[in-house]
Amino acid sequence: MADINVMGNIPKKVIIPLRQHNGTDCDPLVKKGDQILVGQMIGECSSDDCTCVHSSVCGEVVSVEDAPNPCGKEIKSVIIEPAEVENCVDFIPTEDIEAVDLIKIIKEAGIVEHYGTPTHRVLSPEGKDIDSVIIDATSSEWVDGHFDTPVQYGIKIFGSLKLLMKAAGASTGAIVLRNDDMDSINAFDGLVYDDKNMNVAPLLGKRHIGYYLKDQGSDMVVVSHDRIYGKDRLSLFTHHVTGRKVPVNCAPADVGIAICSIKSAKALYDILHEGKPCIETVVSVSGKVKDPQRVLVKIGTPFKDVIEACGGYVGEPAKLIANGAITGVAQYTDEVPVTKVTTAITVQGPDEIHYDETIACIHCARCVDVCPVELVPSRLAALSDQGRFDECRQMNIVNCIECGKCAAVCPSKIHILQLIRYSKESINRAYEDIAPKESSNLKLGCSCGSD
Amino acid sequence: MTFTISAPPHRKDEITFKKINWSKMAALLPVILISIYFFGIPALGIILAGVLSAIVFEVAIQKVFNQKISIADGHAIMIGLMVALIVPPEVPIWIPMAGSLFAIAIGKHIFGGIGSYVFNPVLAAWVFLNLAWGSIMTPVSFPQLGAISNLVLENGAGLLIGVSPIALLGGLVLIYLKYVEWRIPLSYFMTTMVLALLVGDNLSHVITGAFLFGVLFIATDMATSPVTKNGRVVYGILCGILTVIYGHFDNYVYAAFYGVFLANCVSSFIENVTLPRPFGTESYLQNKYRSIMKKIPFEKLGVSIDE
Repeated sequence: MADINVMGNIPKKVIIPLRQHNGTDCDPLVKKGDQILVGQMIGECSSDDCTCVHSSVCGEVVSVEDAPNPCGKEIKSVIIEPAEVENCVDFIPTEDIEAVDLIKIIKEAGIVEHYGTPTHRVLSPEGKDIDSVIIDATSSEWVDGHFDTPVQYGIKIFGSLKLLMKAAGASTGAIVLRNDDMDSINAFDGLVYDDKNMNVAPLLGKRHIGYYLKDQGSDMVVVSHDRIYGKDRLSLFTHHVTGRKVPVNCAPADVGIAICSIKSAKALYDILHEGKPCIETVVSVSGKVKDPQRVLVKIGTPFKDVIEACGGYVGEPAKLIANGAITGVAQYTDEVPVTKVTTAITVQGPDEIHYDETIACIHCARCVDVCPVELVPSRLAALSDQGRFDECRQMNIVNCIECGKCAAVCPSKIHILQLIRYSKESINRAYEDIAPKESSNLKLGCSCGSD
Repeated sequence: MTFTISAPPHRKDEITFKKINWSKMAALLPVILISIYFFGIPALGIILAGVLSAIVFEVAIQKVFNQKISIADGHAIMIGLMVALIVPPEVPIWIPMAGSLFAIAIGKHIFGGIGSYVFNPVLAAWVFLNLAWGSIMTPVSFPQLGAISNLVLENGAGLLIGVSPIALLGGLVLIYLKYVEWRIPLSYFMTTMVLALLVGDNLSHVITGAFLFGVLFIATDMATSPVTKNGRVVYGILCGILTVIYGHFDNYVYAAFYGVFLANCVSSFIENVTLPRPFGTESYLQNKYRSIMKKIPFEKLGVSIDE
């Protein structure tokens, strides 16, 4: 079982960004000099596309200012100097889970998916009905190590899934584990929940969750799948797990699917059973640090302190990456805080940095072979380079999940991922500029017509 | 503390264009050594003339056109080496030089350098030499596989490359290392074998050093083959068909070269018509299968099927 250490030492300074997801900033409820407690709400939602932010430490507010953020931009943050003592606000567990308004609780607890959308927006998108909730455990497995038996873990996650289904008004639910994550698979295999025997079923060929739901006669199933990397991977994930094709420019919600991470499932469990809002998260630290591990840290802890808690750097660090070496963002400073969407910190040494020179494409087709969504990245890169975005669009560039595999295997060292992103960005901006006309046969935005 | 910033991915494969070219040459090393052993000093002279003149012409062209000198990537050297390997050992020393000049200047640089040429420079040079100096370029003998030992050392070899078919299997290592991908060699080889058997050709004429060189090194040349997955299979099959057509009426040594050369003409067309469909949509065959299955009245037949 993968152990998770708890970061014991309290950092000197905690930076809590007032926006930890895609959306709008929340309004600060504190000002300089205020004394605050653990779990106190410090940011309040002003719009629906926003979640509340809570303090993860007890101490004094030093300032409310723009501070570096792992996403690469500066974001308005509350900077707190923690005190020696840890005084908490009273965490009140919700007594009667059946009767409460779950969406409101989720919003106020500040639960955010690891891909950046607030969970309440995922579960109850405007004007769309959700019929299945999927807990995606392929990218962040096993978030809590403190169980006597793995079965307890499984039952807890099933409880969370049930709550998520209730919140979304969905009739079915599924937990998707990673194929090689044996810890979790062992925890779920043979589990008895609601008098039903649960088995971990592999997703093979055309056997999607619909098949297993029918086969097992249950409204909840556990399946296993390979990990899919990529920034925009949700459509592909939906297609692999449910067999439903998400139309171009649409979200999984348009086909009735809500994808939650295992972290938000646990956070929902915590807020209901312990009353604790989302103030800590599990981060896996890897690379050139003395003691790579998975560690439970308070949100707002600077990367520097997390790395110190893992024994510090080995040698001179050259690159600091948030959220994994494949799709993550390289940081220019280690003063950036851990946020709700931070899942991993990777440190690379000087010998791991690439200073490659781009040469002409040699048409080796390695990028075509690795592309998970059947694109021709070499051609897309060439078209993007020449600014021929409409041809890119015709070649389904919007399907790209931005996994970066094409750029990783390129022997000519072409920055394929950047060129594709440039093209996608330009295509999206073209949509913003043109006002859609009713008489026009040009379909803009979501192609399924739901927004 | 300073940190480097760059865009993802932050971890990349170690493979480079240079590595691919030099490993292809390394895979050809056994056949070079055997040909020098077999044909003696003339073979060494031809190989050196081909390689050195390729280097000279590449540097000269890049100097004249103010391009960056890219001799270190090994591409020009590889072209020179391959041109030298597909001429007969009796030719005068200026033949591989003329071949290298044609391959580098016309085959490669006129079309825009690496990745842009339409015809494989090696084949373009071979076709040029063959048409211009046909009498010199005709080998004294065409090999026929008599015994298994001929796979190791072919006594009837007419070209440098033909001396040892088994020494060319270094190309399989390239496929294993994924420096060369497997679809083209496999579909090319299988198509040729099946068609040659169907038209009744003796396989001992088919499996020659030149044919295996064509399968493993020439047809898999990256710029002249389609990039799409299905396109590569189609390209390999087309190479095989053209090879058998030529080989059935003439010989399989020329057939391998002319077959791939002609297939080069249509490779970009093949690429354009085999562009992959977006994920989640049905392929042509799936669509046809479904429309046929719809027409069968399963209910009337009393068969129940799962969705």
